[in-house]
Amino acid sequence: MATDTAVSNAPQISFEEFCRKTFDPKGEFAKPEALKGIRVLSCTQYILGPSCASYLAELGAEVIKIEAPRRGEAMRHTTPFNEPFLYPLSKHVPERGTGLGFVGANCNEYFIAIDFHRPEGQNLVKKLAAKSDVFVENYRPGTFDRWTLGYRQLSAINPRLIYQWLGGFGGWGPGRVRASYDILGQSQGGNFGMTGKAEFQGGSPAKHTIWLADYWGGMMGAVQILAALYYRDKISGQGTFMEYSQVHGVTRQLEYALPLYGRHGITRERWGTWDTQLCVHGIIKCGKSSYANSENPQENEEGYILVSAYSDEDFARLCKTIGDGNFATKYAKADDRVKAQAQMEIYPALEKWAADKTKEDVANILDKANINNQPVWNSKEVATNPHWQQRGSVRWIDDPYYGDLLHQGPGYKLSATPPRTKWAMKPVGADNEYILGKLAGLSPTDIKRLEDQECI
Amino acid sequence: MSSEKVTPWPAVPIPKPEEVYAGLSDQAKDYPLYLESICRQSHAFEKPEALSRLRVYDTSTRMMIGHWCSSLLAELGAEVIQVEPPGGDPMRKLTPFGRKEYMFTDKESGEPVGAHFLHEMRNKMSITLNLETEEGREIFKKMAVHTDVIIENDPPGHRDSLGIGYRQLKELNPRLIYCWVGQLGQWGPHKDKPGMLDPTAQAACGFCHGTGDPKEFGGTPMRSALWMCDHVGGTQAAMGILTALYYREVVSGEGQFVEATSAEAVIRILDYSWAWYGMDGSIRPRFGNWDLAINIYAVNPCKDGYMMVGGGHDRLWYRIWRVVGDEYPKVEDDILGDPHLREVADRLAMNQQIKTYTMLGEWLKDNSRSEAERKLSKQQVASGGVLYVNEVAEYPHFKYRGHVAETESPHYGKILYGTTPFQQKETPGRLKWMGRPTGYDNQDTYRRLLGFTSEDFTRLQKANVI
Repeated sequence: MATDTAVSNAPQISFEEFCRKTFDPKGEFAKPEALKGIRVLSCTQYILGPSCASYLAELGAEVIKIEAPRRGEAMRHTTPFNEPFLYPLSKHVPERGTGLGFVGANCNEYFIAIDFHRPEGQNLVKKLAAKSDVFVENYRPGTFDRWTLGYRQLSAINPRLIYQWLGGFGGWGPGRVRASYDILGQSQGGNFGMTGKAEFQGGSPAKHTIWLADYWGGMMGAVQILAALYYRDKISGQGTFMEYSQVHGVTRQLEYALPLYGRHGITRERWGTWDTQLCVHGIIKCGKSSYANSENPQENEEGYILVSAYSDEDFARLCKTIGDGNFATKYAKADDRVKAQAQMEIYPALEKWAADKTKEDVANILDKANINNQPVWNSKEVATNPHWQQRGSVRWIDDPYYGDLLHQGPGYKLSATPPRTKWAMKPVGADNEYILGKLAGLSPTDIKRLEDQECI
Repeated sequence: MSSEKVTPWPAVPIPKPEEVYAGLSDQAKDYPLYLESICRQSHAFEKPEALSRLRVYDTSTRMMIGHWCSSLLAELGAEVIQVEPPGGDPMRKLTPFGRKEYMFTDKESGEPVGAHFLHEMRNKMSITLNLETEEGREIFKKMAVHTDVIIENDPPGHRDSLGIGYRQLKELNPRLIYCWVGQLGQWGPHKDKPGMLDPTAQAACGFCHGTGDPKEFGGTPMRSALWMCDHVGGTQAAMGILTALYYREVVSGEGQFVEATSAEAVIRILDYSWAWYGMDGSIRPRFGNWDLAINIYAVNPCKDGYMMVGGGHDRLWYRIWRVVGDEYPKVEDDILGDPHLREVADRLAMNQQIKTYTMLGEWLKDNSRSEAERKLSKQQVASGGVLYVNEVAEYPHFKYRGHVAETESPHYGKILYGTTPFQQKETPGRLKWMGRPTGYDNQDTYRRLLGFTSEDFTRLQKANVI
């Protein structure tokens, strides 16, 4: 049954070779899918809800994404600087495209369109829900209940249904009516206020560039769904209702901040690119650009590198490497080094040493001295890096609609049932006929009529 | 810094249901009260746990990714045993700026533990075992047959070379789900270097380069204050483990090998970065607290801090400017009269974003976070201030729902913490206890799993095996 038998029991191959064969992204399609036969309805928009369903689609679930007819959901109209689009948006709107904001949150799915407001559309959703395992939605709390498509109504039709609501603040409590987006989740959950340069470094609170509270929140939702599927299929036979508040998720990840505040009344503040608990373990500027001749401002700026030498031995070697005997004795002990004042002395000294070097120069010198480091790579350096290419973390896919597309691979690896990327997305309503024919018994004539009425 | 001077939490009482729902009709109250009745954390102990049949050994040390992963499983009910080297995981000693007075002390033994480690030791037991000794490894092999999941983060191939890696343990226990976690991976040209921890992954995945202000605004690449990639990577590891569990229970009867890295987990969620680079070579730039793909959708300075205002489509766009226009009619006129700001798509261009936020800033500078939120909320615009931890801890909505709560630990006294977001009707997540001193569960665990006797304990402790 284990699909890695071909490479097991072979002590002659090195561990790295064993891993390389076991997790080879090229071998993904030769292996079974863990969630084969699990059907997920994704009535979602933006990122939080969609990404949650797409993580399940990577694992082989049949995820059916339901959007508004014709124009689809809002994220299709979102793309950096309004420049890159993938055409068409739908067969009815061929002159418009789908923005890249949609990519990454909707892979491997089937795309149908239903107008939730109309009774005919609501009946279709009920027919699909009767045959589904998981229902994911992220509309404002109570909206689906009002449309007779909430947990109370759907669980009466299908008691095995696992209903996952995701959103900003949750559907009960004093802030239940508040709308939310990722950046608001970051702002109010607490991680925004502690990220960024400190006051004395001339900085202000900083946003995590990714839609973290959305994409990671969706992941937390998927964790909860997997646990619920296991519990249903192994133990209870029953579905459930789950509520994921993204702002709650962010508050969960504040590390020592809440215990520290509760015990001592101290508010965790920003500390820039350094670390509050380890020193040296921070990102420093290297004075020379790695691509000084590039015309791209993303490349011709100075380089940055994480230097990590927080143990006493590593720090001593670092001081020797940069030729600073003073620090080696003054800050020989980790407890002294990590103090705020010490960090404010040590990092500028490191930057002074790196002022005439590129990040690669610094990495080479530190590698030779056996000191851990990691250059700050931009998205081009990541996408073209052999490490990430070999591991399939970033990969070209041959998308049936959009052709060659550079796409992220799944975020983790499994030896027997690997997650995988099949296609990035499809136009709005592309699978109306296949899905609604198969699950709701609609004939081609029905589908034509409903499409003309913009009901699907 | 004496804790006696600190105001007990909550400084302001938690609102009561009758206050929260005052003045609402029965119909308006119906849905929120229904949700509250099925999701409130205070009902959690009336309900079963999803993963109560699952046993996990978290043998990872010195890094957060493994602890985060096992924390999530523990919140969902798994029996998680933290296996630490004698003396404890070095991470126990971490405390901000090296300040010992910020650590939590076990009342009985006097052993201190850093707040960061403690926060992720929820619902876990602690035992000690020295895997660097032959006898420790023999004990570990015997233990391996009693578990469903093992999590580790040793340097790639280290456990394999000791004879206790995936290849060896799966022979002893074919149902074993074995999960390796790290920053960059166990294989490939940049495979992990020992001792590396977040923000290594943040720097290596493109996150840091894209976070922070642009150079023209005086910015540099920025890391998340948190070991954020470890949180995302640990969440992906938990997904991998639960997937393997589901497949084992429903289909195969066998375990498998899971690998999760902090960097790849965030590469997965760096949205359009890869497609964009693939299409035209664009490198994701830093854009500060604005968004490359949505306008209005940003945090900007206001009267008393920083304020998020969001509204990507027309309906909200016009509502936002109506609010601004109440105080600055000229600003509203200027924006509405600008032909380059009429189409949603046109507003995304760089110069249009600069104009948008400069004009919005005119209004924000006279409005505090709460004033701005009150005015915008009337128009149902998503908005809110950047909250600092003290404000998060006291925010009425979060207190009412229990996002933040206080627990009383038998070892460490009262601890304020972020609760599990796994809220649901049938098998909700929960907190049972917050952390244990190093090796607190040695006696129970080794006796019930391996039948240790008092003699065994004496001998193995002397030999530094446990």
